[in-house]
Amino acid sequence: MSRVLLVEDNEMNRDMLSRRLRKKGFEVDMALDGAQGVEMARSGAYDIVLMDMSLPVIDGWEATRQLRAAPETQTIPIIALTAHAMSGDRDRAMDAGCSDYDTKPVEIDRLLLKMNTLLSGA
Amino acid sequence: MTEVGERMSTRTLSEDEVATLRHDMRTPVNHIVGYCELLLEDAEGPMHAARRERLEESLRAVRDALEMINASLSPGGHDVTQRDVDALYDRLRGPHARIMESMAALLAPQDRATIDAEFSADVRKIRNATEQLVATKRTSVPVEPAAMSTRDTARVAVSVPADGRGTILIVDDEPNNRAVLERHLERQGYTVVSAGDGATALEIVQRMSCDVVLLDVRMPGMDGREVLRRIKQDQATRDIPVVMISAADDLSTIAACIEAGAEDFLPKPFDQVILRARVGACIEKKRLRNLEVDYLRQVERVAEAATAVERGIYAAGSLAKVAERGDALGRLARVFDSMAVGVKAREQRLQDHVTNLRREMDEAKQSAAATGATQEPDDGALIPGELFANRYQITRVVGRGGMGMVYKARDRELAEDVAIKTLRSNAMSDDPTVVERFKTEIRLARRISHRNVVRTHDLGEHDGAYYVTMEYVEGITVRELIDMRGHLSVPSTLGIAQQLAASLEVAHGQGVIHRDIKPQNMLLDPDGVLKVMDFGIARLTEHTSTLTQAGMVIGTPAYMAPEQLLAEEVDARSDLYAVGVVLYECLTGALPFEGASPIALIAKVLHTVPVAPAERDGSVPLPLSGLVMRLLDKEPGGRPGSAGELRELLAELG
Repeated sequence: MSRVLLVEDNEMNRDMLSRRLRKKGFEVDMALDGAQGVEMARSGAYDIVLMDMSLPVIDGWEATRQLRAAPETQTIPIIALTAHAMSGDRDRAMDAGCSDYDTKPVEIDRLLLKMNTLLSGA
Repeated sequence: MTEVGERMSTRTLSEDEVATLRHDMRTPVNHIVGYCELLLEDAEGPMHAARRERLEESLRAVRDALEMINASLSPGGHDVTQRDVDALYDRLRGPHARIMESMAALLAPQDRATIDAEFSADVRKIRNATEQLVATKRTSVPVEPAAMSTRDTARVAVSVPADGRGTILIVDDEPNNRAVLERHLERQGYTVVSAGDGATALEIVQRMSCDVVLLDVRMPGMDGREVLRRIKQDQATRDIPVVMISAADDLSTIAACIEAGAEDFLPKPFDQVILRARVGACIEKKRLRNLEVDYLRQVERVAEAATAVERGIYAAGSLAKVAERGDALGRLARVFDSMAVGVKAREQRLQDHVTNLRREMDEAKQSAAATGATQEPDDGALIPGELFANRYQITRVVGRGGMGMVYKARDRELAEDVAIKTLRSNAMSDDPTVVERFKTEIRLARRISHRNVVRTHDLGEHDGAYYVTMEYVEGITVRELIDMRGHLSVPSTLGIAQQLAASLEVAHGQGVIHRDIKPQNMLLDPDGVLKVMDFGIARLTEHTSTLTQAGMVIGTPAYMAPEQLLAEEVDARSDLYAVGVVLYECLTGALPFEGASPIALIAKVLHTVPVAPAERDGSVPLPLSGLVMRLLDKEPGGRPGSAGELRELLAELG
């Protein structure tokens, strides 16, 4: 069973996405802000991180940079999630070190495809 | 539409504004899609056909809404005007209605039997999100955020009405939200200032007095939590109530903000009733806090006034503003002020007495110089220039007493002038417990620090004799002054008496009884400041048993209280008896009792009531004479209870 760290400050988003992922067989832990996300990612053995980009304390961009800078989290796949959907967001996310990028509203099938691709190491 | 309205509706939104708007609109869409899909996954099987149909209809509706949003607010697309935004909101009403209808059906009573709590909770979440979709009201705000803050601040700084309901700072990066709040609050009579980012907000709260801050949690750059943290960290701004603006569902962030000192939160979409209630409550709270802060500040003023009185710099009436209060603090200020004025008047009187004393001293010195009176050195005294105890270079003899000599000397270690009192070995008790008690007393006396007490430095032993070093005071003793003048005037006597009482009050407070108060131990410096010396030293002459033993009359029986002569319990009131004798002598030039022999003198001290000073000299005021007689009471209980009480009594006399 793959372990997912969902970093999301919005409670409704957390509730919704975690329930859907659990139904699909993922084990989901949640962090409420960027700093907590980095801390949890460093200490727990997660297979993938779903990162909201507008987060309190430190935002998703910075959290991603920090995860990429630390040896123990350097290779963990990170999918950026953002509701901004601005042109350039995708490039920004990839530049920051994200493995993939998706927009909200989350299309669950598309997200699952991306997750599975990353988890299988393809 | 007015000309201004027309201009605003055709104004083009900036790229950031469009992105923010898109983000705000897509967030509820995301929630609606997510929960609908979630519920659909659970609604499999024929039993849930109707439910699936409602959810699928809602999904279609929300996807239509998303398409509308994307079409109107596409990234990098055509220019977006306020009019376009208004049109988008109008179009969104369609999907909004479809979803709300479906949700209502899902919660309908006929369906109640089949729905569980989690399902209905999720449906309510969808409903809330749907409301949010159209809640970002159309507005015509938009002015560049920073410019707006500056302009508004400047305006407010000069135009806050004195009777205004309060000043509210709105901090939100979203211009539409600011505009909605501004409009509501201004309509309610508040003065409103806005900031589009955290840094500007902090600058505003520093610069002007805000009663409430409405603070958006989520802002680019410095977010609301950081702004909150800084407001609460700063002493100057921490009392301003902060209401967080947040999506209603963001409970964890709201909780974190309330823990960090936020007063309350305001859910988006804004509800006018809630807005009014929360802002009103905060304004009231701030008003009460202002009163409290004002009160505490005034309490501080009273405390400062007390310090000023101690330093002698209190200006009468400086508590006038506090004294205007109708409450207990006002009363305290009024009473304090009148007391302080009284204290100042007393101090002035004391100053007058001391001035008088100085005049008498100057006159006495002049006549002494005329008659060529000098201090004769004793036989066997240390010679000027001699090094004593390897440390003190003797300058000259300054006095001679029953216990030994007093010299002025230079302390070569500390390079300062000191007075050294050598204590003749035959004047000392040979009882080791008495010597030990004496040493303890000297250690206590060293702690006394008061302008009317000669500071005792050290106790030493040299060639088998003790000596005490102390502060060197240039001046004459009260003994010399009385001898030169015959007797002293009433003001000079009061000047001495008040300073003497003050010195004893401090010494007694430190647990040191002088035991040998007499004019020879009282120095007057050139400014008329009395310095009492030899605190603790009389311990040395105490003997363990009775009157009849040899050496008992060492010391000065004329100034000793009856209980002291009888070797009974000696306390602070024994010193007060000696004060009585000193004052008697100052006023009349004579001792209350004279005897041909020490025994005859002692008998009178124990049994005879002296002639009152006023009877001896008609110029002595009766109250002062009466006070001296009280001090000379044979019973300690008949005297004033303490040096402090004596000081008060003297102050009342003038």
